[in-house]
Amino acid sequence: MTTGSKRALAPLALLTAASLLAGCGGDGGSEANDVTVWMYPVIADPKANSAYWDQVEKDFETAHPGTTVTIEEQPWENRDEKLATAFGSGKGPDVVLLNPDQVPQYLGNGALRPVDKAVEGIKESFLPNALDALTHDGKLYAVPIYHTVTTTLYNKRLLDRAGIDKPPATWDEVKAAAPKLKRVGAATLDYSASNEATLNLNFYPLLWQAGGTVFSEDGKKAAFNGPEGVAALTFLTDLYKAGAVPRSALTNTNIFADHPLGKQQVAMGFSSTLADADLARKTWGAGNVVVGKPLRNAEQVSFGVPGGLGVNAKARNVAGAEKFLAFMAGPARIQSLGKASGFLSPRTDVTVPSDDPHAKRFQEALPFAYPGEPSPVARQLMALIAPEIQAALTGRKSPREALDAAAAQADDLLARQR
Amino acid sequence: MTAGTAGERTAPTPEPVAVPGPPLPAGRPARPVRRREARVGLLFVAPMLLLFVVFRFGPTIGAAFLSLTDYRLSGDWRFIGAENYARLLQDDLFWSSLGVTALYTLFFVPLTVGLSLGTALLLHRTVWLRGFFRGVFFLPYVTSIVLAAVIWKWIYDVEDGLLNAVLGVLSLGPVDFLGDERLVLPAIAATSAWKGFGYSMLILLAGLQSIPREVTEAAVIDGATGWRRLRWVTLPLLRPVLFFVLVIEAIGAFQVFDAMYVMTAGGPVRASYPLVYFLYDTGFKFFDFGYASALGLVLFLVVLVFSLIQRRLIGRDE
Repeated sequence: MTTGSKRALAPLALLTAASLLAGCGGDGGSEANDVTVWMYPVIADPKANSAYWDQVEKDFETAHPGTTVTIEEQPWENRDEKLATAFGSGKGPDVVLLNPDQVPQYLGNGALRPVDKAVEGIKESFLPNALDALTHDGKLYAVPIYHTVTTTLYNKRLLDRAGIDKPPATWDEVKAAAPKLKRVGAATLDYSASNEATLNLNFYPLLWQAGGTVFSEDGKKAAFNGPEGVAALTFLTDLYKAGAVPRSALTNTNIFADHPLGKQQVAMGFSSTLADADLARKTWGAGNVVVGKPLRNAEQVSFGVPGGLGVNAKARNVAGAEKFLAFMAGPARIQSLGKASGFLSPRTDVTVPSDDPHAKRFQEALPFAYPGEPSPVARQLMALIAPEIQAALTGRKSPREALDAAAAQADDLLARQR
Repeated sequence: MTAGTAGERTAPTPEPVAVPGPPLPAGRPARPVRRREARVGLLFVAPMLLLFVVFRFGPTIGAAFLSLTDYRLSGDWRFIGAENYARLLQDDLFWSSLGVTALYTLFFVPLTVGLSLGTALLLHRTVWLRGFFRGVFFLPYVTSIVLAAVIWKWIYDVEDGLLNAVLGVLSLGPVDFLGDERLVLPAIAATSAWKGFGYSMLILLAGLQSIPREVTEAAVIDGATGWRRLRWVTLPLLRPVLFFVLVIEAIGAFQVFDAMYVMTAGGPVRASYPLVYFLYDTGFKFFDFGYASALGLVLFLVVLVFSLIQRRLIGRDE
């Protein structure tokens, strides 16, 4: 029996040893002057995305002889899961593309290092909102290389049919337009209330427009159930009850095609992207698409985030990583990436040239773009709030009851974090 | 269970008896042979056994351990004993998702078993184009549930879904199948039943075909009508197969997730938020792996208890 188990163990030990050796080999392979980068499909067309980043590799190496860069293309799916596992096992990339809401989470795990050095001298030329979103305790943790923005998108055909000359730009104008649109069989405001739809494109912009915030100032308590939040949810539920928000809102997930906005059943969206506007131009006809400024109530604001490059705290080649960040933040790269991706420039002194007829309006919306309040529990919180918003929409709870219930759960969640 | 093991034990006993001579030396040469056979047998099942241990048994033990820890994605963990289980008992979401799972099972199992039994009985009788219909009914089973769910989501759509168009012609509706808390579970159960009944149908059909002809013929001679034949002859003989189908469909219902994920994302107001969805969110959205493992283990226990009860019922019959 003992010899048997020894015999069985021998190949196992060999296998383990072999895999350990292989692991060592893998680590030894990447030299200290190499920089690995995790990039995502920022350019929606996969071929164009690969071609773009291949070119960046070449251009960077020409500009910085002696430093090689390897850009690994990752999918958006399970992004945090993969990144956190990689950071956790010490095998993360040197440089990674980050959104503002990811930064506090990884910062808490000690996985990121400050990157102020990479933007020395050009820091003032970035949009203040973009820098703020990626800064914690006075230190910058990712260098913005592009900025997304959403704004209002109107269907002129439906507005014309209802006899509305001026596209509704404020909450009051939306409310006034609703009965007129209903008379011609159309809904007024698109909304997605599915639990899988991000609140960043749905409830939060309304909350911010009402002047509210998701968290209290110190981030330790929920604040979305204040009077502003109740006003935002009341605005929404009143419209829903009146049929001015599509009935299918409960299962919608901010998709344009095959959803009410794309199918011309609703007259306006308040979180539309440039890609949505382009799709609308193709399907509704160019003359029927109107892009406006972000929706306004107490505040005028819409969701938009910078995409930034952060550096792994355990990066082997910090100097090389910083060189790459500075390279990507330069005007040439910001323009070429913006042109290829349809995203905007995060710098005030650089604009992305575009022949897209709607690009200018999205550029004008940029100063109103708000990336949301950073929190390590941002996504968990959405999962708690979304069902309560559904409860308000279906009339099971009043807006105040629904938000109070969500806030109680949110406070529990926040208390568990500390 | 006990009857089975007793049977296995009694079977090899004639062997030593058949060998002439004193029992002790005769027993000896037989043993290495049997042991060698056992070793060869073990060799044959070894690959499967290894896969099972590595990919099923191992992770289960791992999850049981994880459920006693607070495990972070970064890799740090600490042992917290039964804290996850204590938290679970006080978690409203756990109880509501457990309730949704139970309610869904109550809708889904009778629907699927009824549908598969009905079609199996029809196919058992109809000889004409039987193969064709069998194939057609089985087809949904081999399609992807995500695909089926996307199509059914459109069928149920409140604004321009197929079903509401039909109801509209009858000047009824529109009915918000997926947006109404009372309708959402039956609607999803119907989709899953449509997708899955083909498998149980085949098993029941095989069961029907294994019922000896003489029995039904005897019933006919005794003057039993169609319904009485079904009620008093066919169904009692089909009972073991029927129980088997009930067990696997019930276990399937406890593990429901994908249809809800695609069709409603758990809504409205968590009316279609079952245990596995809660587990998925806890593990893969919130990265709370210890708590998610505790949930997984509870689901495992529920399924285990259910299987044991069912097994008892079948065992008594045979």
